[in-house]
Amino acid sequence: MSDARSTDAALLDAGVVVVVGCGGVGKTTVAAALGVEAARRGRRALVLTIDPARRLADALGVEALGNRPQAIPRAQLDQLGVREPGALSAVMLDMKRTFDDLVARFAESDAARERILGNPIYQHVSEALAGSVEYSAMEKVYELWERGEHELIVVDTPPAQHALDFLEAPQRLLEFLDSRLVQMLIHPAFAAGRVGFRLFQSGARWALHLMERVSGIGFLEDLSEFLLAFEGMSAGFRQRATRVRGLLLGPEASFVLVAGPGGESVRQASELRQRLLGYGVRLAGTVVNRVRTWPGAEAPPSLEGVEADLPRLAQALAERSGDAAHSADAARAALAVARGYAGLVLRDAQATEGLRVAMREQGRFFRAIPELPEDVHDLAGLARIADALFARKQEP
Amino acid sequence: MIVTGKGGTGKTTVAATLALAAARAGLRVLVAEMGPDEQMPARIAPGSPDAGYAGRLLRPGLTSMQIDPFEALTEYLGLQIGTPGMVRRLLGTQAFRQLLNAAPGWRELITLGKLWHLEQMEAGDRALYDLIVVDAPATGHGVAFLSVPRVVVSAVRSGPLRRHSKAVEELLEDPDRTLLLPVALAEELPARETAELVERVRAEVGVPVDRVVVNAIAPQPFPSGLEDLDRRLAALEPEQDLGRLPRPRTLAACAAFLRARHELNRRYVEHIATSTSLPVVELPYLAEGAAGPRGLEALADALLAPPRETLA
Repeated sequence: MSDARSTDAALLDAGVVVVVGCGGVGKTTVAAALGVEAARRGRRALVLTIDPARRLADALGVEALGNRPQAIPRAQLDQLGVREPGALSAVMLDMKRTFDDLVARFAESDAARERILGNPIYQHVSEALAGSVEYSAMEKVYELWERGEHELIVVDTPPAQHALDFLEAPQRLLEFLDSRLVQMLIHPAFAAGRVGFRLFQSGARWALHLMERVSGIGFLEDLSEFLLAFEGMSAGFRQRATRVRGLLLGPEASFVLVAGPGGESVRQASELRQRLLGYGVRLAGTVVNRVRTWPGAEAPPSLEGVEADLPRLAQALAERSGDAAHSADAARAALAVARGYAGLVLRDAQATEGLRVAMREQGRFFRAIPELPEDVHDLAGLARIADALFARKQEP
Repeated sequence: MIVTGKGGTGKTTVAATLALAAARAGLRVLVAEMGPDEQMPARIAPGSPDAGYAGRLLRPGLTSMQIDPFEALTEYLGLQIGTPGMVRRLLGTQAFRQLLNAAPGWRELITLGKLWHLEQMEAGDRALYDLIVVDAPATGHGVAFLSVPRVVVSAVRSGPLRRHSKAVEELLEDPDRTLLLPVALAEELPARETAELVERVRAEVGVPVDRVVVNAIAPQPFPSGLEDLDRRLAALEPEQDLGRLPRPRTLAACAAFLRARHELNRRYVEHIATSTSLPVVELPYLAEGAAGPRGLEALADALLAPPRETLA
């Protein structure tokens, strides 16, 4: 299995692992388990979640995750078999704080910073409107990476539709700052001047005029003031956004796709794969989560035509319980239960095989994690997931 | 009726079921989805082409449409500016497209604006639709989605944009016109997230919520009178040879697994009911899946049953 070992190593030796997938497939759990495994292998790992819900904090047994990485205490790491220098931290994105930090770093002066932070549009853009999560996430990943305290950052992303916003965010923000409409809002005097004659003819000037009619004048004034203040920091932001993109598309980063064994998962995962490859990211592996398995065997046996043996089961049940009257019913019910469960196992196996075929080009790392009867909600559960993920023998 | 929930909870299935159940009961229903890939036509009337922004009648009383923000913006600007040629020119302007690509929030706002517009539409002397079912974005983004009008109203001082956002906000907060229907799974983390969602909606958005749907609940796995089947099987000699039947160890494991899932589900149904103080509508897990019309019909029956008061 030296081949498997090297694919594991290739995954966990990356600097940034981005975990993507559709909703409800356990991305957060897989991300946290990857962090646990990397720490066990002696790396200083950090798990970052940008999910507005607080799943990671729950699973890691940390009361609340702040915007600063929080180390999992050594005593807990010992129980997981994490030895020095291995370490594990977790952080949850506070997008408002991250955005404020960004402004503070790149603002030209204290006055400019205060102007931005106090602007009504900034306040809403940074804390309430959908989309800024992604802007902030990009920023945070890079900030933590640049700081270099962690050798591996595992990033948990929002569900599939938004996974792409995550990649596009910096580019979109730059295009926005570059757009002529924005430039015109920032430099109205310039636009009205000598060069302005040409601009007046242009679509941008005219579009601005129409926008004003719809949105009202006050809004554009606030927007203009915000953008003017923001522009001062755009050079710094631009440089940084380019670096962030470079990090995610470069050799340091790899992506892991997580899917569930449900009926739609093959189609959804294939679509997501196409879109990710379209961006040029390095898709390093696929994890199928929560696959129901047959106890003690690769696959369920055929349960067709086995009724002839039901009396043997009924007799065994009667001997044990002394309840002879219901034993025949119980035996039949037991067979129905086994058939019902076998059906679930077969369905999951089919979906897993479908995913294996769909992901064959990324097949070097393809793992199915068996469904556990209980939810994963603590470090021990995460350790079990990590064991399954890296095919480590389970302790009985 | 705005259906929301964490990804994977079966939000789209519940929205489709609800629309189907209402149409069966004789209401004129519109089901609106927002994602890039349309799902309703395939689920409700397999073989039907996509409905698109224009909408499509899938069966008597049930229309489906996909609200594309660009289409909605085109329509809105058309109503505001008047001349279709000007609107086309504006949307064709590269600068304007760049702005739209980067500007957050407008997609949510225009989508909600379109819903408001649909709610206002009339046929003769009554509303065109008795019920509009919205398949809204997943939980975290769902709250952001619904809070956009409120944000705009507080950020924009005057003008048509403020006025229209205000109308949308009023629609969303009017319990006689709007209900938010959270969809959950009866598992630990989804249950906690649902409680969190309800709390945030109450505190930040003001959209009325009066019940929670809990989907895919595993049924009682053993027939009545044999509730202890797993224990009976576990009491047998684990490796006893039963011919072509699986050995007792395996039978007991299957039974234990089904019981564990069922009990876990029951526990979290109770948890959702107590933590949200809301009645819970329970939908069963369908082994053959609920993506097709047969599954939807079965769920529609379950959905129309009165909500079970699970409150302690």
